[in-house]
Amino acid sequence: MKIFRNMHNSGFSPLSVISAAAILSLLLAFPLFVKTPYILHMMILFFLSIIMGESWNILGGYTGQYSVGHAAYFGVGAYTTMMLMQFKQIPPWFGMWAGMVMVVVVALMIGSICFRLRGPYFVLASIAVAEIIRLSAMNLKDITNGAEGILATEIMPLKIGGLVVTDFLTKVPFYYIGLAFTLITILANYLVQHSKLGYYFQAIREDQDAAHSLGINLTVYKNIALAISAVLTSLAGSFYAIYVGFIDPPTVLGLDTSVQIVLICIIGGIGTIMGPVIGSLVLVPLSEALRTNMIAHGIFMTGLVSEQSAAGTFLKENLGHAHALIYGILVVVVILFMPDGVLGFIKKLTQKKMR
Amino acid sequence: MAILEIINVSKFFGGLAANSDVSFTMDEGMIMGLIGPNGAGKTTLFNCITGYYPPSRGDILFKGRKMNGLQPDKVCKLGMARTWQKVRPLAKLSVIDNVMVGALCRTGSLALARDIAHEMLAVVGLTQKDNFIAGGLTIGERKKLEVARVLATKPSMLLLDEVMGGLNPAESEDIIQLILNIKKQGLTQMVIEHDMKAIMRISDRIVVINSGKKLMEGNPEEVVTNPAVIEAYLGPEN
Repeated sequence: MKIFRNMHNSGFSPLSVISAAAILSLLLAFPLFVKTPYILHMMILFFLSIIMGESWNILGGYTGQYSVGHAAYFGVGAYTTMMLMQFKQIPPWFGMWAGMVMVVVVALMIGSICFRLRGPYFVLASIAVAEIIRLSAMNLKDITNGAEGILATEIMPLKIGGLVVTDFLTKVPFYYIGLAFTLITILANYLVQHSKLGYYFQAIREDQDAAHSLGINLTVYKNIALAISAVLTSLAGSFYAIYVGFIDPPTVLGLDTSVQIVLICIIGGIGTIMGPVIGSLVLVPLSEALRTNMIAHGIFMTGLVSEQSAAGTFLKENLGHAHALIYGILVVVVILFMPDGVLGFIKKLTQKKMR
Repeated sequence: MAILEIINVSKFFGGLAANSDVSFTMDEGMIMGLIGPNGAGKTTLFNCITGYYPPSRGDILFKGRKMNGLQPDKVCKLGMARTWQKVRPLAKLSVIDNVMVGALCRTGSLALARDIAHEMLAVVGLTQKDNFIAGGLTIGERKKLEVARVLATKPSMLLLDEVMGGLNPAESEDIIQLILNIKKQGLTQMVIEHDMKAIMRISDRIVVINSGKKLMEGNPEEVVTNPAVIEAYLGPEN
C-alpha cells in the first residue's frame, strides 16, 4: 500500500531549502544578465501564469470548487486598477488595493449565490456569473468604455515620498513585480496548506457532508477560499492591465481567460503548490510557440514535411490558429494519461524508479 | 438527567411519512439501541437529530436546548457527533489528517489537533496506520476511522449508524469493546445496528422503529420477547 506523506512536514530538508534559495537568487539576478526584452517578456508571462494558477488552486485545488469564472475576478481587478489610473489619475499601486476590495465584494456576492450549488451546477453558475460581468463591462460604456477597452496612456512611477522607486519604462520593474507577486501567491498557498484552513478546505473537497458533520460551516469556509483566491486573481489582473497597457472585456473578462486559468492547474496538477508552476512551464511556451508559428517551423526542420509542399503551406497558415484544438488535445492527453497532472506523473515515475 | 428528548418528531417526504410521532428520551451516559427493519426510518431519524433534515413536526431537545433547524456544523459544535452508515473517509487525506479535521472543531492549533488525533487513533486502535491514505483502508479500519474522527470533535453524545455493518465477527467484537469503552468515559451513545446479538449486549435500552413509527421501547430482554417486534422482523405468524 502506498504510504502517504503527511500534509504537514515538520521542517524542510536541507536540499529543498538550498535548491529553493538557488532558484530564487537566479531569478533575482536574471535581469542583470539577460537584457533581451523578449526573454524578459516571456518570464513576465510565465510569472503571470503562475499567479493565476496558484490563485485558482486555493479554490479549485484545495477546496474542490471548480470555478470556470475566474476571469470575473481577473477582469474586475484589471478594470478597477485601469479605470482609476486612466480616468482618476490614481497610481496603480493604490488602484491595485481598490481592485482587491472590489473583487472581495464581487466574490462574496457571487459566492453567496453560487455556493448553493454543488459540483457541475456550481461550474455552470460560475461561468454564467462571469459572463454577466463581461456583458456589463461591454454595455456600461460610460463607465468602462465598453468594447473600445481602455488604453493606458501613461503609467505613473512608483514614488515613496518624493523618491521615485521605479518608473515603468523598461520591462525590468515588471519582472520584479511579477516575481514578487508570484512569491506572494506561492506563499499564500503554503500558508493555507499548513493551517486549519487547508485542512477544512480539503475536507470540503473530499466530502462536503462529512465535513459538515465535523463542525465545518460550509458556506463560511467556501467563501473564505473564494475570497483568498479572488483577491490573488485580481492581483494578476491588475498586473496584467498595467503591463499590457490595454484591456477590453473579451481579453480580461472572457471565458478564454477563465479556461486558461483552470488549464494551468489541470495540466500541472491540481491541489499542489508546484502544480501551477509546472502547468505554466508547459502552457506559456506552448502558446508562444503557437503564436509565432514556431511549431510549424519545427516540423519543417525535422524534414518530415517540406515547407514548399501543399501540406507545408497548410500547416504554416493554419497551425497558429489551431491553438484551441491543440490545447484540447493536450487536455485530453493529460486527463487520460496523467490524471494527477504533469507533476503527479513525474512523482509517480520517480517513485517507481526508487523501488 | 435527560440529555436528549425527542418529542413527537415526524418527517415527511412528500406524502411519505419516514418518521411519524416518534418520542423518547435518553439519559446521560446511556447507550440507546435503535433497531427496526430496513427502511423503517432509523437513518432519517438520525438525519433529523443531527441537522441534515429539519423535522417536519415535533421537537428535538439536546441538553434542554431546541435543535430543530440547526445546521449540522452547529450540532457538532454543541457536542453531538454522528458517523455514517456508508462510511465517508476523506479519501485523499491520510488517516491522521482525517482525525485532525475532527479535532480542529475545538482548536485552531494544528499541533494540538495532531496530539488529540494521535490520542483518538490509539483509542480505536489505528495508531499503526496513521500515515496511510484513508482511501486505502479496509472497511473495518474505515469504520474505526469514522469513530476516531467523531471522537476527536470532543462530543458529549455520539450517534453511530451501523458501525458494525459489513464487518467480520472479530472486527465487530473490536467495535463492541470500543463502544463499551466510550461508555465508560461517560459519553451518551445512540446506536443503529442490525446485529441483534451485538445490540443486546451493548444497549441499556432499545427503541424499535417500524414503518416510521415507534413500535416499542424497553430494555433488551423486553424487546426480544415482544411479539410485535418479532412480527415486524419475521412477518406475522399464519
